[in-house]
Amino acid sequence: MSNKESKGRVLVAMSGGVDSSVAAALLVDQGYDVIGATMQVWDYSECDITEGHGTCCSSIDVDDARSVADKINIPFYVLNCEAKFKASVIDPFINAYLAGETPLPCVNCNTYLKFDHLIKKMKELDCDFLATGHYAQVVFDEYNQAQIQTSIDDWKDQTYFLFTIDPNIVSKLLFPIGHLKKPAVRQIAEDKGLFVARKKDSTGICFVGNKGYDQFIKEQVSPEILKLKKGKIKRYPSGEIMSEHEGIHLYTIGQSKGLGMTYHEKLFVLKIEAEDNTVWVGEEKALYASEVNVIETQWLTEVNDGSEYDVKIRYQHKAARATVTKTKLGIKLNFVEPQRAVAPGQAAVLYKNQKLIGGGWITLK
Amino acid sequence: MQKKSALSAATRIYLDNNATTPYSPILKSRWAELLDIFGNPSSIHQDSRASKAVLREARHKLANLLECSPLEIIFNSGASEGNCSVLNAVFEVTNKYRNEFLISAVEHPSVLKAAVYLQSRGALVHYIPVNRDGVIDLNYIKEKLSVRTALVSVMYANNETGTLFPIKEISKLAHKAGALMHADCVQTLGKLNLNIKDLDLDYATFSAHKFYALKGTGFCYVKKSAPWLALIHGGGQERNRRGGTENIIGIAAINIVLDQLINTEVRTTEMLRLRNLLEELIDQDISNVKFIARNAARINNTSCLIINDVDGETLLMSLDLKGYSVSTGAACSSGNPEPSPVLLAMGLSRTEAQSSLRVSLGWETTEDQIVKFVSVLKNIIIKLREINRDVNILEKKIDHEQ
Repeated sequence: MSNKESKGRVLVAMSGGVDSSVAAALLVDQGYDVIGATMQVWDYSECDITEGHGTCCSSIDVDDARSVADKINIPFYVLNCEAKFKASVIDPFINAYLAGETPLPCVNCNTYLKFDHLIKKMKELDCDFLATGHYAQVVFDEYNQAQIQTSIDDWKDQTYFLFTIDPNIVSKLLFPIGHLKKPAVRQIAEDKGLFVARKKDSTGICFVGNKGYDQFIKEQVSPEILKLKKGKIKRYPSGEIMSEHEGIHLYTIGQSKGLGMTYHEKLFVLKIEAEDNTVWVGEEKALYASEVNVIETQWLTEVNDGSEYDVKIRYQHKAARATVTKTKLGIKLNFVEPQRAVAPGQAAVLYKNQKLIGGGWITLK
Repeated sequence: MQKKSALSAATRIYLDNNATTPYSPILKSRWAELLDIFGNPSSIHQDSRASKAVLREARHKLANLLECSPLEIIFNSGASEGNCSVLNAVFEVTNKYRNEFLISAVEHPSVLKAAVYLQSRGALVHYIPVNRDGVIDLNYIKEKLSVRTALVSVMYANNETGTLFPIKEISKLAHKAGALMHADCVQTLGKLNLNIKDLDLDYATFSAHKFYALKGTGFCYVKKSAPWLALIHGGGQERNRRGGTENIIGIAAINIVLDQLINTEVRTTEMLRLRNLLEELIDQDISNVKFIARNAARINNTSCLIINDVDGETLLMSLDLKGYSVSTGAACSSGNPEPSPVLLAMGLSRTEAQSSLRVSLGWETTEDQIVKFVSVLKNIIIKLREINRDVNILEKKIDHEQ
């Protein structure tokens, strides 16, 4: 059945957005046998039909993915991942906010769904490769070892979300748009007549949509539990009580708007203490830190104790130089320049010469 | 038209006839003549004569087939409309003195959801349990039937497992309590002989696309003495019982296919032989497969498998890529399979329900197709079980290390 000249069979994860649509179309052009799949991760049956537009996983997007698959003429399936997504992405997301952290759900989605569940489906469906529309590249080093490298589009590069990938599967991955910049991707979609060409980029977290994460948490968590998250806003370092707040989940490190108080100087959230629900605020300069502890590290290639790496501490962060020291629980990073708003719950991801080395989770401990 | 992709099998084998049937070859060969029937049957001029004739002829043929009066047939859009109409009509007409409904736990969503709606309007609904062997709890029915029961609604044949329910017996119980009796008969025509008078039904519902005619057309049997209320109000069609200009092409298609439904003995016997062959071959060749309700009374075309250690969703996709159309649980309109509520209601575990596969044969199924299907199924199952075993070993190893 397989085409004799085929370069192999690929399972491509299609979200209904322009990136993964173009990824799938390019694979077809390159001579792969392509199977499209969308992970249904959230039950949108109770959502207003106008809601969720422009986010990456509403049911409208499933329809979009299906119509692109029809257009480029590949088989297409919807995989039901609702239970798995709730357990491994949504619940940890909510728990992180309730613990005063700033979660990064896209990494968990990659760890437990895209590069675990879909890898299994890839094998089960007799596919040789798994492809996604990530802005990332797979390159082979002099020993023919597959490695992940940043996209040529610095602004869109998504390797930050990929540090938990099992190194053994990298050679099975295809990122067909990693060598392109976003405008070029849109142009290809336009040229191929894919109707998603002008679809708005997904912004923010797919399952939260436009309503904001605080509203999402309010809908998902009982008022009794949220009540337990109320506390005081204190001035750093004096400890002066400045006001009461409605819950630590409403604050993130570095935030200065919406603190619910007026003050003669601009104040920033510096630290959130979950033990007694204290939100510490203070001057911007106190937001800067040079030393950052990282736990639950995972490495795609060996990391050298005492070496310098380029490190990203959030998605839209320009990588900064830091020296790595191995610790009992992971690593300690010493940045050459102090970094602003280092937030527990976000990832610290290490690069060397644009190669993804690995990373871990930022912690206060 | 979609051209074939590299991953499309050269020929496809369709084993999902409970979801819908392909069009009858006779219907295909006579397609052009249907397009000449365009007149509105309600018109007076001569252009409406062919349409009127089709309506009349189809209604008479159906009445002959089901052994009822032509007046007892109402054409509509199919069994979902039929089921909603029946439940709604009975509630609206009788709820002042009888407002309890007895429906089986394994009904089609059009019955289950209509019942939920009636609950919101004040009806009391009892769900009749069905066990994992496909046996319906007659004692429960006897217990719950009372002078307050308005309607008993039990499907004749279950779409997912093929189990047949003792409609005649349930009908007798219902009538003894003064209740009305409805059977969703959507899975019956073309598979078994149906005699509505013998079953003593007040209502029976049908969809044409389950017996080789067109989607969006169906009919409802309503006994002359049974209460009725139009769900769709309109221009007096179907004796004011269903408004809207009749779906003439759909009804004309029923009219053509009906000629084949009158004598289905040969076809149904062959389907039964092939279904049994399918199950015997699977017994022989594939380990750890159970058949749901294998020893219960079943329609002759359906086999519901529970395949240990295999995810039904993946199995379905693998078979599809090899050119075989089957289904897991019920076909869901979103194409997003959840474990079948019917199988869960029958007491199967979530894991079992997620490992289920429904194979439903049709008039066109051949022995060669069944033999090929089992051999492909076998290979896929071996492969999927191997991958699962490797993953389980790996997960155990990781657990151990942690």
